[in-house]
Amino acid sequence: MTVAPASKNTQRFPLRKDRDAAVAQRPKRKRSEASNFSIRMGQLALAAIVLGAWELLGRVGVIDPFFFPLPSDILMTVWVWISSGFVFPHLWITLQESILAFLTGAAAGLVLGFLLARVRFLERLLDPFLQMFNALPRVVLAPIFLLWFGLGIWSKVAFGFTLVFFIVFFNTLEGVKSVDRVLVDNAKMLGASEKQLLRHVFIPSALTWIFSSLHISVGFAITGAVVGEYLGASAGVGYAIAQAQGVFDTKGVFAGMFILMFVVLIIDLLVNRLERHLLRWRPVRSS
Amino acid sequence: MTQPSQPGSSNYAVELNGCTKEFATPGGGSYFAVRDIDLKVEPGRFVSIVGPTGSGKSTILNMAAGLLNPSSGTVHSFSEPVHGVNRRASYMFQQDALLPWKSVIDNVSLGLTMAGVSKAEAYDESRRWLEKVGLKNFADRYPHQLSGGMRKRTAVAQAWIVNPDILLMDEPFSALDVQTRQIMENELLQLWQESDKAVVFITHDLDEAIALSDEVVILGAGPGSTVVGSYEIDIPRPRDLLDIRDDPKFVELHREIWGRLKVEVSKTYESAREEEESDAA
Repeated sequence: MTVAPASKNTQRFPLRKDRDAAVAQRPKRKRSEASNFSIRMGQLALAAIVLGAWELLGRVGVIDPFFFPLPSDILMTVWVWISSGFVFPHLWITLQESILAFLTGAAAGLVLGFLLARVRFLERLLDPFLQMFNALPRVVLAPIFLLWFGLGIWSKVAFGFTLVFFIVFFNTLEGVKSVDRVLVDNAKMLGASEKQLLRHVFIPSALTWIFSSLHISVGFAITGAVVGEYLGASAGVGYAIAQAQGVFDTKGVFAGMFILMFVVLIIDLLVNRLERHLLRWRPVRSS
Repeated sequence: MTQPSQPGSSNYAVELNGCTKEFATPGGGSYFAVRDIDLKVEPGRFVSIVGPTGSGKSTILNMAAGLLNPSSGTVHSFSEPVHGVNRRASYMFQQDALLPWKSVIDNVSLGLTMAGVSKAEAYDESRRWLEKVGLKNFADRYPHQLSGGMRKRTAVAQAWIVNPDILLMDEPFSALDVQTRQIMENELLQLWQESDKAVVFITHDLDEAIALSDEVVILGAGPGSTVVGSYEIDIPRPRDLLDIRDDPKFVELHREIWGRLKVEVSKTYESAREEEESDAA
């Protein structure tokens, strides 16, 4: 898959229009608290309706429970996997692969992104090669990585690395290059060295871009691990799903999906927290 | 006998000699932003540069700051040739140049901390400056939480705290409403009178230029504009900016300088219209 830098309009900063934002927001917030509650109730109702309809249609035989197992059965399987402890070693392996892929990929992407953004020569030299590798559908690398690195975790780490690296790299590059010229000039006039420019201007400015890429790249790190496991492994959630599929256990396939979904949600929440802390200087968007 | 002195031999705060700046256009050609600019600013003087739009006012300031190198000619500051950023100067930009991720006090103390001053000391000095510009209670705010005028005050404190010998100001108050602007001009003048800094002030507003300055320099119509006139403003100081526009001296100077500036402004207007017409044809 080809990854373009995250879209610009989702993260433009800073919003200078809301002059007296601090004052103007107070009454608005109260109103949104009330509507927040009704939205939450609506979401719960929607989930209950969809799952209920699914369950009902399955029970009366409109949809085939073999292909679409009943939500109650899926929940049961999830419970069995968790209570028996069956899923935890697999989850641990998948997480290990994801974390390693994420850390190495993000670190390489950040370093190369900053380097290329600041050294014009390198960017021009390497640009066509990076575009070439980015154009390559990454999934086709999985078989070759399996041959190179074996069935263990390293083939999945390598696969996840190629996914994460490009997202972080392109976003960092774009983030550093899109820094407001006048901020750089101002810091220079105040006596900033190249190192101080990086620390006070480029890194904080690129952070908004890097964070938007973190959300995507965390997901991709896990995708990389699971797809890699699915294609060939001896452990991991992807492997467990593949095993379930092998014996036509659709409940198991769905259970694996649900567990992964919740794990990714939790990780994303943590990233959100970190983002909110590090980007606390940003104006609150009023919408 | 008046022999033309060697560039950089006398002790001007800013000295541009025959500075020309040529920019490459995307089409592969080039155009002259400014041509043969001579500008001398003595230490402690307040000099304004006024010119029509597109006359390269900011280009001149950026050359004095060392942010741009002239294509030909020389730039000196206190007898030293300017290579890279001019260390004796501070710059106030037309746009907001505060770092949005730093609080007001971190923005103000930036110049000191980057120069190696300890954080406690830099904060003490910043608090003194914040008090001076009336932002004592806003030290922990972020720039987006301030009004336009408050952001400009922060920028003033940020530029002055490093105690530069030269202040370069590029239409610093043009984004403000008229009342806020007059208040800011008054405050700027007060700060400057207590100091011995040279100021180079860019504006397109002749009223503002005359009211503030010791000398007003008029630029011709661009592109490739050059200095077409320089006027001594001998209105006595201290000046009260709120009433200065009724001062007979002010009125007289304004009439004289506007007579010259008008010619350049209408030239600019005409060439813009011609361009439009040739585009339409």
